[in-house]
Amino acid sequence: MPRYRICYSKTGPARYISHLDLVRELERAMRRAGLPVAFSGGFNPHPRFSFAAPLPVGVEGLAEFVDVEMTHPVTPRELAGRLNEALPPGLAVREVVEVPAGTPALAAVLDRAVYHVEVDGDALPGMLPAGAVERFLAQEKIEVTRRGKRRDIRPGLLDLSVMSRDGGLALRLELKTGGAINVRPEEAAEAFFRSAGLAVDAADMRITRAELHWGGPPRP
Amino acid sequence: MDKQLERILRQVQKPGRYVGGEWNAVRKDWHDAAIRMAFAFPDVYEVGMSHLGLQILYGIVNGRDDALLERVFAPWPDMEKQMRQAGLPLFSLESRRPVRDFDIVGFTLQYELTYTNILNMLDLAGIPLRAAERAGGGYPLVVAGGPCAFNPEPLADFIDAFVIGEGEEVLHELLDAYLAMRRRGAERREMLLHLAGIEGIYVPVFYRVEYNGKGMVQSVVPVEEGVPRQVRKRTVADLDGAFFPTRPLVPVINPVHDRAMLEVQRGCTRGCRFCQAGMIYRPVREKEPNTLLRQAGEILRSTGWNELSLSSLSTTDYSQVRPLIQELTAQYSPLGINVSLPSLRVDAFSVGLAREVQKVRRSSLTFAPEAGTQRLRDVINKGVTESDLLEAVAAAFAGGWQAVKLYFMIGLPTETDDDLAGIADLARRVLDVGRSQFGAGRRLKVTVSASSFVPKPHTPFQWEPQDTLDELRRKQAYLRRRLRGRGLVFNWHDPESSFLEAVLSRGDRRLAAAIESAWRRGCRFDGWSELFAPAKWREAFAACGIDPGAYAYRRYAYEDTLPWDHISAGVSKEYLVREHRRAMRGQTTPDCREGRCPGCGLCTMLEVKPRLVGGGKIAPVQDML
Repeated sequence: MPRYRICYSKTGPARYISHLDLVRELERAMRRAGLPVAFSGGFNPHPRFSFAAPLPVGVEGLAEFVDVEMTHPVTPRELAGRLNEALPPGLAVREVVEVPAGTPALAAVLDRAVYHVEVDGDALPGMLPAGAVERFLAQEKIEVTRRGKRRDIRPGLLDLSVMSRDGGLALRLELKTGGAINVRPEEAAEAFFRSAGLAVDAADMRITRAELHWGGPPRP
Repeated sequence: MDKQLERILRQVQKPGRYVGGEWNAVRKDWHDAAIRMAFAFPDVYEVGMSHLGLQILYGIVNGRDDALLERVFAPWPDMEKQMRQAGLPLFSLESRRPVRDFDIVGFTLQYELTYTNILNMLDLAGIPLRAAERAGGGYPLVVAGGPCAFNPEPLADFIDAFVIGEGEEVLHELLDAYLAMRRRGAERREMLLHLAGIEGIYVPVFYRVEYNGKGMVQSVVPVEEGVPRQVRKRTVADLDGAFFPTRPLVPVINPVHDRAMLEVQRGCTRGCRFCQAGMIYRPVREKEPNTLLRQAGEILRSTGWNELSLSSLSTTDYSQVRPLIQELTAQYSPLGINVSLPSLRVDAFSVGLAREVQKVRRSSLTFAPEAGTQRLRDVINKGVTESDLLEAVAAAFAGGWQAVKLYFMIGLPTETDDDLAGIADLARRVLDVGRSQFGAGRRLKVTVSASSFVPKPHTPFQWEPQDTLDELRRKQAYLRRRLRGRGLVFNWHDPESSFLEAVLSRGDRRLAAAIESAWRRGCRFDGWSELFAPAKWREAFAACGIDPGAYAYRRYAYEDTLPWDHISAGVSKEYLVREHRRAMRGQTTPDCREGRCPGCGLCTMLEVKPRLVGGGKIAPVQDML
């Protein structure tokens, strides 16, 4: 069955859609668009969707990915056009490519993600000290607590840099994702602010997933 | 999006409840609308979005060029806390405008245990709770409708105007009248007086309630010229031609019912004596199969849902139900779309229908015999026999279902322990039917759910007392003991919320103080067991000097004035008395679909007719007065 890789964005009100709700909304959107989605067999058929990585509720995604199987071929252009007309505000298809049979599932090959974390000036208790980023990255271990357990996120922290200081602070985080090591953007950002001596409330962090990366082609 | 709101939404569970943006949501220009109405559902988003009435009114008002309707739901306590901390007023989902800025705020009254949420929403909106405090200041007009408006009295101090009955037509009249009066520069009182002249609108400020020496309502009389002594419910005569939402909102966050709803008929004439819906939605009006097929296609295309629910009070009673289901499954089954029936009549015919529609999914089947013995089923006029039930479950087991749910009520008038024993016996017989069919090896499950009877206004049991809390708990314990064993599951819940429901559903205006006091003590979402706080309610009643038991446990006499007597559901009091007497004698009354008019008085009074499609027989109206 033909398989298509859809790159989409999830912003605005759609960022509050949970992953499970997104799966249901995408199924309905495909029906509204009249697209021939393939379903699994059995008593409770599921649409054959395969997502790269669930996005946490509240986090915007600029270039998310899902593979979709169809019962018969459609052109990527038509798929994108028809689906876009059936998606609610905040969900938008950016690009579609057909992927050959046998391509591994996105979730299996997903490797890293780039996040942007923005904090407004009025939520920052002070200036970011000089050298804070270098000192943070120079650590051999960065311990965070997740569900009561201490864990070291340093191996999963690939890069951190300051993107902008205009009217606040914008960080770029590159994190391992999928597979064995999975670092959450908010825990990496919190650890950074802690090490920089800035008390920033998690409620003041606006997080966006800007990129997803995996090993090898194809990608739109 | 506003930064303050964004910050709040990062700190609450299910922020999707508060952002809107669903498929088929309507965004109209605020400044282009002459009249702006907020539809306020006093429960959480997922519940409200499963409500057909919301979809109907949303389509009706937004279909007008001069009006807009936006939604607002009760914020969950975590959201309320954040809003109060930030000073963020209650806002609508579509334009995120403060509810205070709308011309009209309309609450829907689906169940009594949402009343504290209404007060909470008014307070969060910055609108004074009591109608009297809203006289000046340009506050929105606060209106309310829905089934609980049939006894509006407990909320009479908080609501400016109630809409009694079906809203499709009267809502237009209400909006038109509002616009006309505003153009004329009318004061609020003048506006309300004008509204009170519209059939089906009840404006409580124009009625004086007097109480007698026994602490009961003596009379409710109008105090102004032109205000009707009794407010009659509104009924849509031509349901087939009435507006039906074929482009309904499709909630993104998982609602209670995640499916398309197609209303096949309205009203039910079975005449179960405990059932308020069966009385207040009369007469029965069926829609034409062709209308339904057309609407089904439109809804499914416009929403993408994979399930179509044929909704009504008793869908298996729809005269063309089988051909309708056959046609729908023929059209939509190949597209992976299921047809579903919300409830099943207790008979083999219904199970046959369920088999036809449930080709794909297998869950349990639910039946509601309501009472455990034939004697008590006759008292409540539930036209179901034991053999009906056993045939139905045999058909269910034969159809492959291995789980059956049985709904009963406890605390029904005249109930004795024999009737309770009957519930347990019936459940075991159902299990036996399954075992004889499958042998002992299969995993069968019979779930018995027992809710507590609540006497409801406008029913033949409106005069009856509710069982005391102790008695209901004793009955639950009795059933618990008898429903032990392999394959049996017994579900019940604390009767305290049923007690409060009885108090509020049979209450009068004096309850306003207690509702407000309970809200001030922190009562919210009283219908949610995890948030229900009966101790706070007890404190509230005590603080107001009100004995709630006097409302729940009172047995009214036929000649007593009932607090809701000035509201007419169309059925005559004589009919209700006659039905109550028949109940006490254990006599059943047939459905008027079956060719004998029981003389409920509705057809003569409202000048509407029952309507069956395909030439079904309806009894000629009898005037039995």
